[in-house]
Amino acid sequence: MATAPLLVLPGDTIDPSLIPTHRKQPLRLGPGLRHIPPSEIVPTVAGQLVVDPKKNSMWVEYNGGRYIPSTHDLVIGQVHRSAADLYYVNLSPYTANAALPHLAFEGATKKTRPQLLPGALIYARVTLANRHMDPELECVSSTTGKAEGLGPLTGGMAFDVSLGLARRLLMARNREEGRVEVLELLGAEGLAFETAVGRNGRVWVGSESTKTIVLVGRALKETDEGDLTVEQQRKLVKRLVKQLR
Amino acid sequence: MPREAEPSLNEKQFILQALQENLRLDGRQLDQYRPLELTFGDEYGVAQVSLGKTKVFAKASAEVTVPYTDRPLDGVFTIMTELSPMASPAFEVNRPNETEVLLSRLLEKTVRRSGALDTESLCLVAGQKCWSVRVDVHVLSHDGNVIDASCLAVVAALRHFRKSDTSMEGGVLTVYTPAEREPVPLGWLHSPFCVTWSFFGDEGETAVLDATRAEEQIRVGSCTISLNRHGEICQIAKLGGTPVEAVALLQCTSLALTKVKEFSTVLDRKLAEDSKRRDKSGRAAELTAENDR
Repeated sequence: MATAPLLVLPGDTIDPSLIPTHRKQPLRLGPGLRHIPPSEIVPTVAGQLVVDPKKNSMWVEYNGGRYIPSTHDLVIGQVHRSAADLYYVNLSPYTANAALPHLAFEGATKKTRPQLLPGALIYARVTLANRHMDPELECVSSTTGKAEGLGPLTGGMAFDVSLGLARRLLMARNREEGRVEVLELLGAEGLAFETAVGRNGRVWVGSESTKTIVLVGRALKETDEGDLTVEQQRKLVKRLVKQLR
Repeated sequence: MPREAEPSLNEKQFILQALQENLRLDGRQLDQYRPLELTFGDEYGVAQVSLGKTKVFAKASAEVTVPYTDRPLDGVFTIMTELSPMASPAFEVNRPNETEVLLSRLLEKTVRRSGALDTESLCLVAGQKCWSVRVDVHVLSHDGNVIDASCLAVVAALRHFRKSDTSMEGGVLTVYTPAEREPVPLGWLHSPFCVTWSFFGDEGETAVLDATRAEEQIRVGSCTISLNRHGEICQIAKLGGTPVEAVALLQCTSLALTKVKEFSTVLDRKLAEDSKRRDKSGRAAELTAENDR
């Protein structure tokens, strides 16, 4: 966006001129905004108000707080236990367990479903997130029947990051919009690793080499805690890679 | 009772794998502490220690009480520890869990039973009046190795503490306010510090200093060694866990001594800096009523 970021506080009144209008699509409210009928929209958190006129949606971008599941979020969960036909999955230590049906994996039948032990990590999508209800997850796209990268995560290491960084990492153009380039820079330095970013503030890093995983984890942590700019991230990556060699 | 969130299988495996390759998640050496920070408050006897994300606050205070009848010539010295839900959701108020009991026992053994504080100097009138010194330890944030941080905080708070000056004239005890007479430090004999080793691997072959919370959750055993900078061991606590080779333990003890010397130097330096900061007029030396021991 060309204009300066618009910061809102909980309970602020939003200037009606900022609310996008679209001929066909209905207005969609993202996290941090609440609609009070008939015609009032109020922020519920402090953060930056973002408006997307093309998708006719608006939301508040904020860092911190606890993860509250919402539908279509990609999350990294930890299997807590297995029940008759579903897994109970822990998304964060302070929320109720989410339910992941045994058959919500690619090509899973009663006999071929993956057997997950308590403590196993899975990459999943939230399908149901209502207030006062346990969220539900899936590891397969319900429309195509393909896994699309979701499923159990084997090996590697999961790092805890802030919710804001997880969100920035998940942005389609994370360099321009999210101001985070650290993973691309590490890849450009010739390190081979794969990542899975969970909206619930967890990043899974997998690699053949233990050193690489440790290095990626440190880079993420330092970027997060120091709130580094792209330029600082570049320096950080240079410094870390130098230590490695 | 709330339970701590356990690390996932991937994390457990990875941390162990990395430790086998002498790597730690934060890039430290196996026998390296996280950056240690020690600050004193405006009041006497307030100290805060942070080791990485672990934060411990200790406050020493003193009041005049009646000594115990079986120890008429001794003062009273107590250490109170509290792990509040602020430090970790697994802690509850008024319901001490294992961590808290072990912490208070270890501090008791390290500081009180090793005779670090000269309790006889706290006696005012034999069998009638004495000082009761109390240290309150609050763990503000728990990211592993609370024991070492708490011990350092307690010792720092006590060394920093000044109690009101008193005098006895004709059977009348007078306690002076700080405005009347400069408060005096406690009778301090030696500074013990705790060094905790965590053991990993099937036979506890990898020994690690200053474990973080994640490392603490997957270790197979731990050993807390308390000693002062002269190498006098106050206690060694190896509470259960995998047995460890005696030779390895000896090595741990000698390495612990170098760490304790570092702690001792840091504490002395910080205390000197703090007294310099307080002594603006430069007249502290003539105001003090303290005698050289």
